[in-house]
Amino acid sequence: MLTDLNLSLFLAYKSITKGNKGTLVLTIFIMSLIFVNLVFTASIFLGLGNTVNNQVINTLYGNIALEPKKDEKYISDIRSLEQKINSVPGVTGISSQYVIGAAFSYKDKSGAWAIRSINPDDEKTVTIIHNFMIDGEYLSKLDTDEIILGKEIPGGYGGDLEHLSLGGVKIGESVDVLFNNGVKRSYRVKGVFDVNFQQSNNLAYISQNEMESVLGFNDTASLILIKTAETGNEEIYIKKLLELGIKEEIKPWTVYAAMVKNITKSFDMIALLIAVIGLFVASVTIFIIIYVNTISKRRQIGILRAIGIKENIIIHSYIVQAMFYAISGTIIGLFIMFLILKPWFIEHPLKFPIGYVSLLIVPEKVSINTISLIAAALAAGLIPSWMAVRETILEAIWGD
Amino acid sequence: MADDLTSNIGNENEILLGIRNLTRIYTMGEVRVRALNNVTFNIKRGEFAAIMGKSGSGKSTLLHQLGLLDTPTSGEINIGGIDILKLSESEKAKFRLERFGYVFQEYALLPELTALENVFLPAMARGRKKEDYLKTGTKTLEQVGLGARLHHRPREMSGGEQQRVAIARALINDPDILFADEPTANLDSASSRQILQLFQKLNREIGLTVLMVTHEPEDRKYVSRVIWLKDGELAEKEGISEAGNLQIAKD
Repeated sequence: MLTDLNLSLFLAYKSITKGNKGTLVLTIFIMSLIFVNLVFTASIFLGLGNTVNNQVINTLYGNIALEPKKDEKYISDIRSLEQKINSVPGVTGISSQYVIGAAFSYKDKSGAWAIRSINPDDEKTVTIIHNFMIDGEYLSKLDTDEIILGKEIPGGYGGDLEHLSLGGVKIGESVDVLFNNGVKRSYRVKGVFDVNFQQSNNLAYISQNEMESVLGFNDTASLILIKTAETGNEEIYIKKLLELGIKEEIKPWTVYAAMVKNITKSFDMIALLIAVIGLFVASVTIFIIIYVNTISKRRQIGILRAIGIKENIIIHSYIVQAMFYAISGTIIGLFIMFLILKPWFIEHPLKFPIGYVSLLIVPEKVSINTISLIAAALAAGLIPSWMAVRETILEAIWGD
Repeated sequence: MADDLTSNIGNENEILLGIRNLTRIYTMGEVRVRALNNVTFNIKRGEFAAIMGKSGSGKSTLLHQLGLLDTPTSGEINIGGIDILKLSESEKAKFRLERFGYVFQEYALLPELTALENVFLPAMARGRKKEDYLKTGTKTLEQVGLGARLHHRPREMSGGEQQRVAIARALINDPDILFADEPTANLDSASSRQILQLFQKLNREIGLTVLMVTHEPEDRKYVSRVIWLKDGELAEKEGISEAGNLQIAKD
């Protein structure tokens, strides 16, 4: 047994080291590209899904959102509620808001959008909108007659829904806003933001003070956004909030992400489909490489069998060669992914309609792809060499 | 190859290979070609026999059957009381490894291996220790005159040298019989002479039994016996060997 293994390794080693160097390099290069293709495709789609989720957290709802109790329209006594929430370790930001629908009009153009009211300083602890002003400035706490608009609303900023916009409102110009409680106000446009996410770019923001004057309420909110130190442990935080006796509806960001869930699900399905096709192509490629290799060495296989070398030794030597190609390709592929592509994408994320997308390389996916490629190589090494030793010795040597 | 040069010399009258009613029929579509027809003869230990005949007479087919490279349609091949045709494929492979040696017309060396590696491969497959197969491989190559070419690869050697490497490979496991299929067909006359003289030397000095297919009439002077084939059957023709023996081809 050990003798057979030694001989298989010896034949494989000699074939690899003393065979055609160009073929060897090309084969390993192809293997590395196959591996990169498998991992890259999965990672870019995972990156897309991750970007969508991050946009929901960072521009719309934070990690956790509190909504009014059932049958109530607003959350009351928010100051003491905010204090309670702040006492939970790991909470890094809270932003209480009113969210209300309103009709906007500018010259002869009009449209309906949602307005959120915020304390700008609090909002900065939860969302990143203040970092994405493309014109004008962000709100300040004392602003009362000013509004900032997502880029879909004013028009002229390249929005996806330009035809529904106000047709070209400039910074400093006024827009009329009719709130759904019947109050009508005029606001000067202070800034326009673009977070590269259509759902967020359809929002307008005014200060909390201004909204309270519109609604006539105080110390209330219709939504409280909570940002936590890390994403993924929302259920733990929710449990802690419930332990503090908070009776409001507490929802993790994933509930709100349901609106984009179909998009991320579609990405996952496409990624899976591409991975399966990629793996199939990888298997066929490895098979062809090994098959061509065995065909070109058909006579050698016949000679080995003629002088009494067991068939399984010959098959194992080809499997070892296939494994070597696959493992070398995988190692080089890992270098390409982690030392070239990942750093490059961190520096230069791709701009997609849903935001900036980088590669999300998940170790589990990399492991699955590695195992799959090696399994494919195993099969691709086994089948052609098994077929080659099925021939009669005379056929193999003289092609009878 | 055994260190003791007399190891292969046994009883000269001992029948090493007993062939009975060997028939090989190839089926090509609906056509049946009888390549060998009821061939019966014996090979004694220590013989250097040539199988001769016209092209298509069945020389190589006979050698392939005897060397277990092909399976006859019917008949028996006996070695030491064993009907080797009844062995399983893996037993046949073991038999080829341990008891037969082969030299093919086209040298049949592995291009990625050096001369020494090509030679020790069968010994390695037999599970011999590294120092043993390295030592024996080196010694065998020295015996065939290639002591200075141990680490050369086939492409760096002439045809004659490659054929001598193939002979050394055939000898390393100390075979009962060496099968040579037109071993000089691709060689110039000087190299051919060297190869045939080497076979003759191995036959005389270590008693190696050699069965060689050849179509060159002048090769008869090296062998002790000629087996004539015609149309797949033994021919009634005397094989007069210039090596000193008078043989009648059909036993």
